[in-house]
Amino acid sequence: VAPEGVPVIGIKAAQAAVASRIQVEGTTRIEDATVESYITIRPGQPYGPSDVDESLKALFATGLFEDVSISQSGGTLIVRVVENPIVSRISFEGNDKISDESLTAVVRTTERSVLTKAKVQSDVQNILEAYRRSGRYRASVEPKIISRDNNRVDLVFEINEGDKTGIERITFIGNEKYSDSRLRDVIRTRETGLLGFLRTTDTFDPDRLDADQELIRQFYYRHGYADFRIVSAVADLDREENVFYVTFTVEEGDQYTFGDIDVQTSLSAVDPEELRGVVRTDSGDTYDSLDVEKTLEDMTVEVSKQGYAFAQVRPRANRDFENRTISITYFIEEGPRAYVERINVRGNDRTRDYVIRREFDLAEGDAFNRVLIDKAERRLKNLRFFKEVRVTTSRGSAPDRVIINVDVVEQPTGEVSFGIGYSTSDGVLGDITIQEKNFLGRGQFVRAKFGLGESQQTYEFAFTEPFFLGRRISMSLEAYQRSYDANDFRQYDETTTGGSVAFGLPLREDELRLNLYYAIFNRDVELDNTTINNINVSAAIRDGLGTVLTSAPGYSIVYNTLDQNFNPNEGIYAKFDQQIAGAGGDAQYIRTTAEVRAYEEIYSDWGLIGQLRAGGGYITSIGNDLRVQEQFQHSQDWLRGFQTRGIGPRDALTGDALGGRWYAHVNAEGRFPFPWIPKELGLSGAVFADAGALWDVDPSINDCVTTPASCGFVASVPNVPSDTAYSGDTVQSNGFAPRASIGAGIQWISPFGPLRMDFAWAVLKEDEDKTEIFRLSGGTRF
Amino acid sequence: CFTTTLTHGHVISPDTVQDVQIGSSREQVELVLGSPSTTSRLEGDAYYYISQVTETTAFLPPEVVEQRVVAVYFDEEGFVRDVGFYSLEDGKVVDILTRKTRTGGADYGFLTQILRGAQNPSLGL
Amino acid sequence: CSSTSDDADLATTDIPAEELYNQGLALRNEGRFREASDKFAELDRYYPYSEYARKSLINVAYVNYSRSKYPEAINAAKRFTTLYPGNPDSAYALYIIGQSYFKQIPDVTRDQQNTQRALSAFGELVQRFPDSEYASDAETKIRATEDQLAGKEMEVGRYYLKRDNYVAAINRFKLVVLNYQTTRHIEEALFRLVESYYALGVINEAQTAAAVLGHNYPDSQWYKDAYNLLQTGGYSPESDGGSWISNAFKGINVL
Repeated sequence: VAPEGVPVIGIKAAQAAVASRIQVEGTTRIEDATVESYITIRPGQPYGPSDVDESLKALFATGLFEDVSISQSGGTLIVRVVENPIVSRISFEGNDKISDESLTAVVRTTERSVLTKAKVQSDVQNILEAYRRSGRYRASVEPKIISRDNNRVDLVFEINEGDKTGIERITFIGNEKYSDSRLRDVIRTRETGLLGFLRTTDTFDPDRLDADQELIRQFYYRHGYADFRIVSAVADLDREENVFYVTFTVEEGDQYTFGDIDVQTSLSAVDPEELRGVVRTDSGDTYDSLDVEKTLEDMTVEVSKQGYAFAQVRPRANRDFENRTISITYFIEEGPRAYVERINVRGNDRTRDYVIRREFDLAEGDAFNRVLIDKAERRLKNLRFFKEVRVTTSRGSAPDRVIINVDVVEQPTGEVSFGIGYSTSDGVLGDITIQEKNFLGRGQFVRAKFGLGESQQTYEFAFTEPFFLGRRISMSLEAYQRSYDANDFRQYDETTTGGSVAFGLPLREDELRLNLYYAIFNRDVELDNTTINNINVSAAIRDGLGTVLTSAPGYSIVYNTLDQNFNPNEGIYAKFDQQIAGAGGDAQYIRTTAEVRAYEEIYSDWGLIGQLRAGGGYITSIGNDLRVQEQFQHSQDWLRGFQTRGIGPRDALTGDALGGRWYAHVNAEGRFPFPWIPKELGLSGAVFADAGALWDVDPSINDCVTTPASCGFVASVPNVPSDTAYSGDTVQSNGFAPRASIGAGIQWISPFGPLRMDFAWAVLKEDEDKTEIFRLSGGTRF
Repeated sequence: CFTTTLTHGHVISPDTVQDVQIGSSREQVELVLGSPSTTSRLEGDAYYYISQVTETTAFLPPEVVEQRVVAVYFDEEGFVRDVGFYSLEDGKVVDILTRKTRTGGADYGFLTQILRGAQNPSLGL
Repeated sequence: CSSTSDDADLATTDIPAEELYNQGLALRNEGRFREASDKFAELDRYYPYSEYARKSLINVAYVNYSRSKYPEAINAAKRFTTLYPGNPDSAYALYIIGQSYFKQIPDVTRDQQNTQRALSAFGELVQRFPDSEYASDAETKIRATEDQLAGKEMEVGRYYLKRDNYVAAINRFKLVVLNYQTTRHIEEALFRLVESYYALGVINEAQTAAAVLGHNYPDSQWYKDAYNLLQTGGYSPESDGGSWISNAFKGINVL
């Protein structure tokens, strides 16, 4: 370094000018001292062009100045600056969809800060990006600067939001095995339709598009298409129409089935044969990635049972391209010996800590087991309490110690929903439901529902604790009151008030459940005064009037692999239920019902979903006589083409339906979206064929109808005009006689719940049956 | 088919425990048995290795079917002084006290949740 | 395009900073916090580098805090501590940050992030301004937040104890005994250790824990429970000197 005061070699003396004094001009707010502090030139010191350059750069770097110039006149160095204005007010005009607060958060220029062109430009981009995020790609932003006195300015962003950029069409290319409509059901992005104003999922969101790709990939992997690949997922914007066209190009590849399945292990004491029982992927089945994952889980738990807590199960698959099979060898080996030091739960502002911690099968101090952690993550996501669940691990205090961090982002779990429906048998009915899935952050489910219709009122209250006594047993309480007035199909008013407590036990993850329950309800059946003295009300019905208390424990086994509960596309739902009435109360019977429903996409070009249903029931008295109101009655849920209670045993004299002790039905249905109507409207068509029967009244009811005296109805019936003889008659169509009908229907998923119109023609019927071609029904099934 | 068995805590195989002789150092113990489930005294006057197997059948409460504690006691210089074993039989039945020390912090009741929920009710679609 | 409020702006620019500040103070003392906050914000806007801007910034923090608008109060206070770190008023700013987080502390079954943030704000206050007038209150708040954090550890410890996960339970209670000795939970932590070790059958640790509990908190209900529990097995609390519990207490005479 050159010694003090001697010019650096190489710089000619003439250029090394010297200034005796520095003078700053043009400053208003900023003190001259501040400006001088950035200048490297000192009075009396020689300086060269590089010093000037350095000073300029330093001054500009502060961002305080719009323009700076350094010149020398005589002995003084003149530094002329033009200060950047200070922003005094920022305001947004024309923004309606995005609030001022959220826009201020996005904009970097703040009030009382220095205004620079660069920052304003980047703020314009930030605002546009915010609008793109909320689905408005046609928004434009114009920054306006209004100068005020002493170098202050107001900054106004004039925004023209433009209307929402919808998604006109979602098309799939290359999908032969599954129809466009089937795949549209898999992804979450929706086409914008009439109901666009109600939904937020029909605006374009790049993140959601990525998530959709993952959903489709999972869907294909689960259906055997191991080679499935998404070639491209493109969203091109049509500016004039202000809409997006989303196109997924996919390469399905071939469908694989499982080849031979083998279990091998390097752990001496583990016997592979024993583990074979746990395998869900049997050779010959279609390949399903979820089955592989669940096999890993079950196998890991099975192996850790035998004391190998650190065992790691890894699938090794090899593909046979010719006959398209994938054979899998489950290899069990010693995993890293690590222990869970601590489980940190973070982000739960509403959910209680234990509600999250209890989803982990492993506790702090247990062996670290990746599969059990993934299982917990899956369980947490299934709770639907969280927008995001992330389970990460970090080093513990010792090399073989691991800390698990569970980060959750909560989402609103409360819901207020309205439903309006109409059914030919019950007229217009509306309901309001208030529901909370994560009540007080305790993971409990609470629902209150009030229904009101022309001829019915319902009040329902339900509560479920998923972890009864801290164990994985659900306990549900229900209380309800349902009252129906007499109408053309039912002669009597009926009010049922009751409640139940049920314990749900998972037998196999969430597929198979055993429910033990106890139900108690009081049914009050009255003839309204117009029909009371009307002679042609069947003696059997009169016999069953009054209030009946039923106290019935029971159990049911439910197998459910539906992909979604409402309008499922695939899977099976089967339920067997047996209720024993007689633990106190008046009614004494055993009531057994069974139901199976299977769904499958049977013709992908049309997106045709096939549905096969079968069901039946038998009720028999085990003490007091069975009442008419307790017997099974025909309903259009299981046999269309007939009026409600249109088939089954009937009092020949009065024509009243008496119901029966047996009923059975089989239904086949094909559901398809209308090809030319956008799916968003929620219109779908269906063709169906039903067959069913209702037969065999209880002997005591038979006697009561044939000889009214046997059930206490002598010639003169109380409050029936005395001069009319009351003679009995026989019970018609009491025997087993199958009825059948075919038909077509239209379903519309309106914002107020699904509505369904069915046209059905009875092709096989008894002459006493009452048929009905048109039927309209509403309200959600589940 | 309703019983699920879970192993908790440290995995101790009987043969490895034999390798811990009196006089071996702390590092040797950690090498053989791994880092302890819990330690006694700050610089570890005793290492406790605790393992437990529980069985839960259907809706019955989980039952501890096996519980083993291996206690490795060190002397002042940090060499193994004694090794102790405790098994399920030593365990005592304790009905855990439900009283707990009061803690602060705002809990929220039914109304706050409803009000907060009401701010953004989702239209049940 | 300028809305009416802008014109009002123009009118007040010539009011000197000091007068604006006094108007703000007057409004604040009358408890009209919203207007006071607007007045101070205005002053901060027109005289950004003036002496009064600094004073009004701390006032904006105070006013927002008293309107329990905690995020705004925290932002203003944080800006104050970054702009004027050395200034004695920073102590008050830190106090407001601590208080704002303190008021949002949830119950122990939920994420204790706010407790942690309150603790670090009060901690910084006590460490950087030990003799400030807010230091003593910060001290009490530090004890309260530590008590809350200990409460959270106890909550999780009891969760595991109920499910017979003794390893998890012991390590959580041990954490309280070692790190949170000055909180009210120390007694229960010791008692829970007696329960856990006793259930495991490791009697000497149970006895030691009970002895330490008795020695330091002889008349505590928890000690009586521990004593009775050991009595059921015919044991009595006696300290085996080497146990970590008695050593954890050697350095500190809690009484």
